[in-house]
Amino acid sequence: MMTNDGYAARKMVKKVIFAIVILFFLLIQIYPVLWVFMASIKPTVELSSTPFSLPANPTFENYISVIREGNIWRYMWNSIKVTGGSLILIMIFSSTLGFALSKFRCRLNSKLYSFLTFGIMIPVQITLIPLFIFYSRMGILNTTFSLILPQVGFAIPLSTMMFVNFFTFVPDELIEAATIDGCTPYSIFTKIMLPLAKNTFVTIASMYSILIWNDFIFANTFISRNSAKTVAMGLKDYVGAFGNVDWGLTFAAIAISILPPMIVYFALNKQVTAGMTIGATKG
Amino acid sequence: MSGVIRNRKAYLVFLLPGLLFYLFAVFYPIIDSVRISFMKWGGIGPMKFIGLANYTKLFTDHVFYKSFFNNLVYLVIVVGMQLLIGLLFAVLLTYMKKHVSLVKTLYYVPCIITTVAVGQMFRSMYATEPMGLFNIILDSVGLESLARSWLADINTVLAAVSIPEGWRFTGMYMVIYYAALISLDPQVSEAAEIDGANAWQTLWKIKLPMIRPVIILSLTMCITGALRGFDVPFLLTNGGPGNESELLSTYMYKQAFSSNQFGYGSAIAVFIIVESILAVFILRMITRNREAI
Repeated sequence: MMTNDGYAARKMVKKVIFAIVILFFLLIQIYPVLWVFMASIKPTVELSSTPFSLPANPTFENYISVIREGNIWRYMWNSIKVTGGSLILIMIFSSTLGFALSKFRCRLNSKLYSFLTFGIMIPVQITLIPLFIFYSRMGILNTTFSLILPQVGFAIPLSTMMFVNFFTFVPDELIEAATIDGCTPYSIFTKIMLPLAKNTFVTIASMYSILIWNDFIFANTFISRNSAKTVAMGLKDYVGAFGNVDWGLTFAAIAISILPPMIVYFALNKQVTAGMTIGATKG
Repeated sequence: MSGVIRNRKAYLVFLLPGLLFYLFAVFYPIIDSVRISFMKWGGIGPMKFIGLANYTKLFTDHVFYKSFFNNLVYLVIVVGMQLLIGLLFAVLLTYMKKHVSLVKTLYYVPCIITTVAVGQMFRSMYATEPMGLFNIILDSVGLESLARSWLADINTVLAAVSIPEGWRFTGMYMVIYYAALISLDPQVSEAAEIDGANAWQTLWKIKLPMIRPVIILSLTMCITGALRGFDVPFLLTNGGPGNESELLSTYMYKQAFSSNQFGYGSAIAVFIIVESILAVFILRMITRNREAI
């Protein structure tokens, strides 16, 4: 028979093993990210001699060089314009679409809904060639709009779905009562539906601000001019004297550029994960 | 799906702006891709209609077959990592009592980092000059003979460009599976334990079958995501060395934007879209059949 002590000891060992396994997985997952921050405060000499140890002489020279060089602010500003512009349009289009599809009487609604949500399956690569040709004919390559158009288009299916899901929960009786009280569809939308949908707006905004900020493929295709580059593309710019990547500068620039999505994520992580997991499971 | 408001004009006011934008941004490019895939066009001058020539070229192009095959390997690695590690970690988390949300929050961090940063991180970890993390680890456990430049070696490059993508989204699938496992009725597994099932049996025979619908849905997303994989391989190797890590979408991209073969590039793009839709369709058929049994 096992003594109480033996039982407690075995339980303890199990607990410790469990904790080690969890920490091990966690380490794999976040070590590269921590490492970027660590490497960004290392002097160049240390970066090449002891790249993976803790910085012995932490320095901010990499940050100072990146900031002094100044391009990072322009890249950030371009990313802010694209992200902000896209978010506004995504909100307008998907909330109105969601309202039309869930609260109006029309036989076509469920067909239109399937047509819209079909877009979740479409790979974004399909748009690159046609849009590139269209933009170059119109002379609007290298503009903020050239990035906003596909970002908004590909965000509409999922965000419309989220609005439809939410609006369906608003009781029809509420809308009938408002109509009897003399509300037009427009005032029902602005006075009743929009205030109720605050959480849906926050979920969509937090998720898409991160996704759009991080975009690489559209920016890499439609932007070639330095003055129009977004942050993600700019990260490839930090090249040293011999044409090699200057890792110190690159890591400092990465650290600066991932800060905005990190802030959004740590402030609103429930909404961000909720939005992204709906995206992955409702397709 | 139908509401209570009957007002045709207001309906169109709410419906049309978003619908037209969607049609222009998503549907017009799909149709235009199909049209361009029947053309020969080098970027300047008028397009020339050449019928199915791009498609016949596709099926005799050995680089295309190579990319297709590479894409399958990429898919197996990415889906395997995201599904298995995601599921394993989610199961582990269900046994955790404290700090669950902290661990979840941190585990998810790679999903919110731009692929360019992910690419740069892994590029430096794979490097030999200066020694990257992978080689240092091998060195420290006495396997320095295995150390190599992972992105330049044709035997390892395909796995090396797949792993970052698998790593990036493991956290997302963990969150999905964890939410599904936690929402299960605890009474069912308690009843099984009273009947003598151990934790392992409860997991395999009860919990996992119960979250099967979630697993299948996430599998769909995971597979279509892997079929269109682009960013990490493009950034790390651009398909090289040679075409050793070429995927369909990097090949499409190069044909169109480096070789100016917009027609041929579009044919590959059309192939990617057909393949994605087909994959979803097949997966749904398989799962529906099994449910019927």
